[in-house]
Parts: sequence; structure tokens; C-alpha cells
Amino acid sequence: MLSALIKKEIRANLVSFRFVAVAAMVLIVVPVAILVLANDAVKKVDEFSMRRTETENYLKSYAHFNRLQNVVQPAQPPLPAYALVRGISSDVNIEEFDDDPLPVMFPLLDLTFVVAILLSLAALIFSYDAVCGEKEDGTLKLMLANGLPRAKILLGKVIGGTVTLLVPFVASLILGLFVILLNPRLAWSGSDWAALGVLLAGAALYVFFFFVLGVFISARHQSSSASIMTSLCAWVVFVLVLPNLSPYMASLVAPAPSRIKVGREVFRLTDLERDDLGRKLQADRLRELVKKYPVLTERVSDTEAKARADRDPAYKEAMQARVREVQAAWDEANRIQNGKANALWDDLRLKEEAQTRLAKAISMISPAADFTYAATDLTSTGLMNQKHFDDLSTLWEQSYEDYVRARTAALQKQDSTVDWWNSPVDVSDMPRFQYREEAVDARIAGALPPLGILAALALLAFGAAYFSFVKYDVR
Amino acid sequence: MTGTIIKKEIASNLLSYKFFIVILLTTLLLATSFFVLAKDFKGRKADYELVRPKPGEAMAVLPPNPLSIFAKGLDEAMTRSFEIGAYGMGVRAGQKSGNAIFAFFPTPDFVYIVKVVLSLVAMLFGFDQISRERENGVLRLVLSNSVSRAKVLAGKWLGNYLSLAVPFTLVTLIGFALMNLDPQISFGAAGTMRFLLLLAVALLYVALFLSLGLLISALTKKAASSLVVLLLIWAVAVFVLPNIGTLVARQLVDVPSVKALSEKRQQTWTREILLAIVESRGKGDAAWDASRKEHFGKIDVEFDQLENDYRVKFDRLVRLTKNINRVSPAASFVYAETELAGTGIAEEGRLKEGVVRYKDAVLKESDQGKKEHTAFSYKYRSVGQVMVQGGLFDVAWLAVFTIVLFAGAYAAFVRYDVR
Repeated sequence: MLSALIKKEIRANLVSFRFVAVAAMVLIVVPVAILVLANDAVKKVDEFSMRRTETENYLKSYAHFNRLQNVVQPAQPPLPAYALVRGISSDVNIEEFDDDPLPVMFPLLDLTFVVAILLSLAALIFSYDAVCGEKEDGTLKLMLANGLPRAKILLGKVIGGTVTLLVPFVASLILGLFVILLNPRLAWSGSDWAALGVLLAGAALYVFFFFVLGVFISARHQSSSASIMTSLCAWVVFVLVLPNLSPYMASLVAPAPSRIKVGREVFRLTDLERDDLGRKLQADRLRELVKKYPVLTERVSDTEAKARADRDPAYKEAMQARVREVQAAWDEANRIQNGKANALWDDLRLKEEAQTRLAKAISMISPAADFTYAATDLTSTGLMNQKHFDDLSTLWEQSYEDYVRARTAALQKQDSTVDWWNSPVDVSDMPRFQYREEAVDARIAGALPPLGILAALALLAFGAAYFSFVKYDVR
Repeated sequence: MTGTIIKKEIASNLLSYKFFIVILLTTLLLATSFFVLAKDFKGRKADYELVRPKPGEAMAVLPPNPLSIFAKGLDEAMTRSFEIGAYGMGVRAGQKSGNAIFAFFPTPDFVYIVKVVLSLVAMLFGFDQISRERENGVLRLVLSNSVSRAKVLAGKWLGNYLSLAVPFTLVTLIGFALMNLDPQISFGAAGTMRFLLLLAVALLYVALFLSLGLLISALTKKAASSLVVLLLIWAVAVFVLPNIGTLVARQLVDVPSVKALSEKRQQTWTREILLAIVESRGKGDAAWDASRKEHFGKIDVEFDQLENDYRVKFDRLVRLTKNINRVSPAASFVYAETELAGTGIAEEGRLKEGVVRYKDAVLKESDQGKKEHTAFSYKYRSVGQVMVQGGLFDVAWLAVFTIVLFAGAYAAFVRYDVR
């Protein structure tokens, strides 16, 4: 019997005007969006490899340890999934002079956006009159006269409705995916397809939620014209407002210290105050050292000192001891001041993380936010990837620092009179930052909590719809 | 006669469930938005007081713009601090970068709420005006009186517009008045005038969507189908078109990404410092000074070159994006509002030009051996300038849209079969 009900729903929907209109829109918007996104992704890949080449060219001639880290900062390469989902990957770059204001004004259109906004709206367009509309037409009375349990009718309605809605979406997606398949520059691997599969399941769940919500609201109203008003208002709140308000609410509840203030304080600690401390420590240490090597009190130019060191081993030893002491003094100054600065950063980071967690928790009341988090985590364009990228960067920074330490020590051994920090060196054996996307099972695991909440919300809505429908006065 | 129809529309609206829920939603959203963004503004203002340059300090930083409570736009980017030091420019951004959730969803400011929610609401007021009245037979009765269809349509438009615009204007004005009571927020006379302009443009935008609603209603026989068509047109106009325009424009204009630009700057900077050190090594302090001066000059020239190249390309991208996006009235609306509030793309570009000029002035002062630098000053464009530089175009564009849609509604209604 259930299958007969589902079939009836699907058939009734397929011939309806709203189906034609929604299908036409989805079939145009999705492939166009994918086409545009895919082209843009290819462009990004090109630009990224160009940036790499330029960095390598620079390193060949000008790599020097003092400022090397500024040039070899880890960068996120474009991912194959950029052809579908963008998440928070756009380069706003607000921390530097060159910022890009366009994504701030108009967020990019991607698949998440299409599902979160257009499909949920379409689901409500399909379901707002599911109960009250049939009552108005009188078909509900007839149907219930057949001794059908209301639960079955409800289930038939939501399954049939969700399926009819997903058909044009999947068809449009297949059209769009041809763009990806036909473009050899977008090398999609098995894990990308697996992630897309889970994303689609999430989209189905999301559409299901809104369909059920529409039925629920419909079963609370006697007229479909009132039902659509409530449905749209609920949609606005759930999809367009709650997620957007959540970070602002979180910053009211869990404020973080001012970034600007911390930044300035850190600069003062690690620059001005460090220099003062370093000079003081250096002077102290040299005062002690001069007692041991009185020759060091003589002021000579660099070239003379070098010549003298070659002649006189005792002088060379004194000079080396001096270099060591100076280094030790500055190391200590750096250690102390960096310790103070790190404490400030850590405090800021912890508070910001707490705020982000709270914002995320608040926004997760909204199914749109749940779907967005799941979709972006699945495609490495969300919060999870941000953390993953930071972890990779930290690992790379450690290996980079090890490399610099070993390399400078070796060079120092080779020739201790050269200022290796400020001389061009060959860094072809330096570890380069390699971004590796998180494994697909980890991404899926990361997407499960928001999908779970989405499923719970859908169940809740279904329960509410069931109870409202059971009590519905069909006359 | 039109007066009677207006009265009838308002009276029937006031009693309807639609009016109740829609006005409740709008009021709640606007109130929350005002509260949250006023808080946000005050937080940023407190931040500004912390970094506010002391006399003689070479730093360019703007206080947050109070109108950003209504149109946040790029105010976050415009209130970064630019510190000019011997080794270049240090840029610091505010709070938003600490919480990634901000990046996921657009700011829920007045402009966003009007752009998305008010447009939807306006359409909901218009969608069933003609088709529903045909369905329940009221239209026939109305037209059986000797009243011209033009008058009926005008009455409907005005009646519905007033029932939406009056509560909306009231809520917004009350919110604005309450903000004025807060000693930390002061708009001033100029700010108040700009705010009224923001409100006026918002009212124009609402008129546009009401006309669209009437047009579609006059083109369809059934209210249910007019709703479906309207919602889809609305979704495309408000969400799809403006957001896809940027991507399309980027494919037509070659603009380097900002990351590439920042990398290029780092390369230039580190290269020239290295060269300065290497070339003057072992030659004493005088040689170092000369070499440093030469290479820092080169950095400055190359940075300005990079910035100029980028600006030219980026301006082209913005122009193209704007023109593509203007297909959708929502984009025109956002441009007009943000530029009027002083938080738009053009204003941000202008500010950055100002910062570059200030940097040059500071470097010149340093060359002359001055330790105390003149303070940075930036004057927002006047309303007149904003209007001349694109604002008027966007507003006129919205007005043209509205008139064309209303004329279309009239043409469709005149031929409408009321049976």
C-alpha cells in the first residue's frame, strides 16, 4: 500500500506546474554553476603552479636563512573538489595589505549554496499544501475513507515528495559532472567521488527535513495560503538568519581578547623589548668574556679581524667564543620574549577556539548550517581542513627549523667568519611544504556529527508532523 | 476611488494572518540585527581606541563607521591598521579572523535583511493580488463597478506598499532613534542624512519586488502558480545571479590572486634587503646606509608598481563584476547601500590609495630625518561624489526596474481575463 501511495505522490508531483518550474531552474543553475566553478578551479591550479615556480626561481638566487621563512610560507593548493564546493576557501587575505573584497560582498555560488538555499525552498514549495491543500480539494477525505492509517499516508507523502525533488537535482548534477569528467585538468580520484556520494546522501537528508517541515506546518494550518506564510518564515529563520547570527551571538557570550591589542603587545615584546633585553644580555656576557680574553677589547675592522684570526689561533678561539656568547645572549633574549608572546597568543587562541565552538554549536540548530558543515568538511573546504592545514604547517615548520639549524651549523663549520644568516645559500634540499588532503574516511567521520544532528532534526520534524497529522480535522 | 481601494487593501491586510506573521518576522529580525551589529560596532570601536595612533606615530587606521551597523560591507577591511615602519608596512585585522564561522555566512545587517527578507515579504504581499482575487471572485465584483483597471492596480499597489512600508519604516526609525541614545554611537547630522538615504533606497527596493509580485500575479491564473514562479525568480535574482557574477567576471579578466601578490611582495622585500646587506658587507656604516637607502627605494618602487598593476586589473574586474551582477536588482541594491554608507568597494579602494599616499609621505619625512610624522587623515566621499561615481546609476537602475515591472503589471492586468 505504501508503494501505491508513494507512486501516487510522485505521479501527482511530476505533472504539476511546480515540478516543471523547479526542475527547469535546477537543471539550468546547477550545470552552469559547475561549469563556472570548474573553469575557475582550473585557473586556480594554473596560478598555483605559477606561484610555485616563482618561489623556486627566487630560492635559486636569493634564499637566505634570515628571511627565508617569509618566502616559503605554507600555501593551500586548489583541490579537485573546488569544481563543486568552495566553502571558506576564498582568499579574502584580510591580514595583509592586498585583500580581496569581492567574496565578502557576494559569497560564491557553489553546490552547498544551491542545496542549502534553493533545494530547501523547493522542498517547501512542494510540501506546504501537502495536508491542507488536499483538505481544500477534498481528496484527503476520500483517501482517509479507505481505512488507510495516517502514518502510511504521511510516509508516502514525504518519501514521494523527497524523491520527486531529488530526481531533477541528481539529473542536473549528472549533467554538471560531465564537465568534471570531460576536463582532464580536474583529476578526480576515487575518494573525491566517495565524498560526493556522502554529500549527496546529506543533501537527500536535508531535502527530506524541509519536506517534512513543510508537511508539519501544513498539518498545523487549515488553509494553504496561511501554511505557505508560516513555511517561508520558518525557512527564512532556519536558513537565512540563524546561521548568520550565530557567530555574533557567540562573541557576545564568549568574548575573545582584541586581536589588535594582542598583536601590538606581541610586537612590543618580541621586537623592541627583545632588542633591549638582547643588548643587555650581550653586554653582560661580553663583560664576563673580556675577563677571559682581554684581546677582545681591541677594536678592529672585520677584514683585519679575519686576517688576524687566520694567523693567530688564540685570537681565533677568542673570536669564536665571542660569536658563541653573542648567539647565546640573543637566543636567551628570544627565548624569554617568545615565551611571553606565546603565552599571549595561546590565551587568545584558546578563547577564540571556544568562541568558534560556541558559534558552531548555536548555528547547528539550523539544518542549513549542518549541511554546510558536512559538505565543506567532506570536500576539505571547511573548518576541519583549516585545522588539518594548520597541523601540516606546524609539522612542516618543525622540519624546516630542524633543517635550518642543521644547515647553518654545517655552514658555520665550513667557514665561521661568514654571516650565513644574510648570505645566499643553496636550499635545494630544504623540505618543501607538501599539502596532503585528509583521508576520505577521516573526512566522512568529520561530517557525521552534523549529519547526525540533521537526521535527528528530521526525525523530530517527522514526529511533530505525525502527531499534527493524526489530530488533523480533515473536514 | 483609488483611495477606497487603498483603504480596502490596507484594512484586509491588517486583519490577515499573512500581515501578522510577516510583520512579526521583519520586526524581530531587524531588532536582532540592530542589537547585534550595534554591539559589534561598539566592540570594534573599543579596539580602535586601543590602537589609535599617538601623535607622531606613522600609522593609518580608521575608526569604525557607525553606518556599518546598517551596511557592514567592507568596514572590517577598512578599519585594519596600517603601520608604516622602516621595514615596510604592517597590517593588522580585527576580531573577525579569529572565528571562522563568520566566513561561512554573510553578515546579517540591515542591508542583508532588506535584500533577502524584505524582498521576499514584498513579493508575498503582491503574489496573490490579482490571481487570488480572480479565484475568489472579488476581482469581478470590483471591476463591475465603473472603475478603471489602472486605478484598481494603483490602489492595490499603494495599499499593499503602505501596509508593508509603514511598519518597516517605523521599526527602522525606532531602532535608529534608540541607537542615538547610546553615547558610544554617534551618527551626526551627515550620518543621519546618509541613514535616511539608506532607508529610502531600501524602500525603493521593496517597491521593486512588490511590482514584480503584481506583474507575475497578473500573468498567472492561479495564486499557487504565481507563488512558485515568484519564489524561483526571487531565488535566482537574490542568490544565484549576484553570486555567480564574480566567478564569471574572474574568468574574463585575468587578475592575480591576492595571495600571489602578497608572495611577490615578500620576495621583493627579502631579496632587496639581502642585496643591501651583501653589497655593503665589510664596507662600514656609511656604505650600509647608502645601500639600504638604494634598495629600500627599490622595494618602494616595486611595491607601488605591483599595487598599481593590481589596482588597474582589479578595478577592471570590479567594473565587470558590477555590470554582470547588475542584471539582478539585489546586486544594484547592495552596491548603492554600501557605497552610500561608506563601506563599499569603491570606498575601500580609495582608502587603500590614501594609505599608499600616506606611506610615501611618511617615507619622505623619514628621509628628511623627521621622527614625528604627520597624522593620517581620510575623508569619506560625500554623498554627492558617491552618487556621481555609480551610486546614482544603481539607484536609477532600481527605479527603472520598478517602473518597467509596474508598467508590465499594468499591461498584463488590462488584458487579464477576470473570469
